[in-house]
Amino acid sequence: MNEELSRLMDGDLDDAALERVAADLRRPQSLATWACYHAIGDALRGCPHGSPGFVARVSARLAAEPTVLAPRPKPQGERPVARWAVAAAATLAAVGVVGWTALSLTESPGTAVAKAREAAGVTSAQVRPQGLPQDYVLVHQEYSPATARQGVQPYLRAVSAPGSDARP
Amino acid sequence: MSYGRSPAPAGARRLGWIAAVALAAVLAPLTAARAQEATAWLDKAARAARELNYVGTIVYQHGARVETSRLTHLYENGAEFEKLVNLDGPAREVIRSQGEVRCYYPDAKIVRVEPRTIRNVFPSLSPQQQQALTQYYEFRVAEPARIAGQEAQAIVFEPRDGLRYGHKFWAHRDTGLLLKARLINEKGEVVEQFAFTDIAIGLRVDREQVKPSWAGTPPDWQLKEGSAGDAVAQNTGWVVTRLPPGFVKVAEGVRTLRGKRDPVAHLVFSDGLVAVSVFVESSAGSAGQVPGTVRQGGMNAFSTKLDEHFVTVLGEAPAATVRQIALSVARR
Repeated sequence: MNEELSRLMDGDLDDAALERVAADLRRPQSLATWACYHAIGDALRGCPHGSPGFVARVSARLAAEPTVLAPRPKPQGERPVARWAVAAAATLAAVGVVGWTALSLTESPGTAVAKAREAAGVTSAQVRPQGLPQDYVLVHQEYSPATARQGVQPYLRAVSAPGSDARP
Repeated sequence: MSYGRSPAPAGARRLGWIAAVALAAVLAPLTAARAQEATAWLDKAARAARELNYVGTIVYQHGARVETSRLTHLYENGAEFEKLVNLDGPAREVIRSQGEVRCYYPDAKIVRVEPRTIRNVFPSLSPQQQQALTQYYEFRVAEPARIAGQEAQAIVFEPRDGLRYGHKFWAHRDTGLLLKARLINEKGEVVEQFAFTDIAIGLRVDREQVKPSWAGTPPDWQLKEGSAGDAVAQNTGWVVTRLPPGFVKVAEGVRTLRGKRDPVAHLVFSDGLVAVSVFVESSAGSAGQVPGTVRQGGMNAFSTKLDEHFVTVLGEAPAATVRQIALSVARR
């Protein structure tokens, strides 16, 4: 699915795949991946100017906007162009909502951008899921109170199937 | 703050002091009792985990993953022997005995051996850590429950700040052995869970049952062995300048790790419930590691470059906490 997300960004998905990805994007995890991919893309293109907390600030200001309850003026007869404009605006708004939702659902957009920046500083080939450093986990576990409480159980972290939970 | 001149009249100030002292006098025994109760539960669990014989099936959940393994624990003449075998996927194995921990990775043909210190034989918390426990976590005894067919009692450590995870434990009613342990993030989501689905406690266990499935190291396997070089504490020359409140340094040393050319500095900080490890190595020895965050269940790791060094911090704490520690590592 992650590969399909990336292909969607590149605009080369067929209709059937598009349907599937759109349905999958309802899951918060997929939305987070989507947002993260964009952050990485921005960083790789050299325009990582999103400041941490930007989304949260915009969301807060949107939430603080007063709701206008005044009656709308009656339209003076709709013209085709106006209808088209309304439809376009609605589409744009929808895209905007999806975009903001995606960003606000990531654990922290600032982290995603920071990670993307770091990734860009290395090479794009290194942007891949990586497991915990198992040798360090082994050393750490000996000193953790979790080992005193649960014995050998926490060592499962060191022998668990490779890969981390959070996939970029 | 200056104690010299104050705009408040002396009388009001004295009243304030009396109120504060009175409040502290009322609350202090309460919090002390709460800290003692929390510590008693943890000590009982640790003693049970160490001194009982038990055999059971463990389900380890992290993220969307579920893995099952078989656990066998033997206590004999003051010595502990443990065997943990993955039942799903590659038949990886952990053998923990008095002197060392051995991890077998048959899929990769690797054995990792880590010497054990005597640290966890005496897991009791220092008075400082006891105090930190209830200062940074709200402790309460929750509902009774039934886990793996056994009567259990739930206990909860809820963090008072965003710098640590919440913990919920289900302790066996009779022995205190933890039958289930859960880590919870700030959104109330379970990030990691260890739970017995079946367990037999206090049965007879033979040494045969806790032996590794492989005798020694198979000839075509790779042996990766750590040194016991950190048995003696020493000054590594590294400090953490922005340590989250409640964490105190419990160990510091320099050790040689397999696969690392140069010795690695290792510092451990604990808030009484969890620990965070700081590793500092020369960049030359850190080939293959990528800066950034990695998470698996309740464990977060963050790596970053620091001049010609490479810093890796990991522990059972949220990503932001681990990151804060990593980014504030400095020369003493």
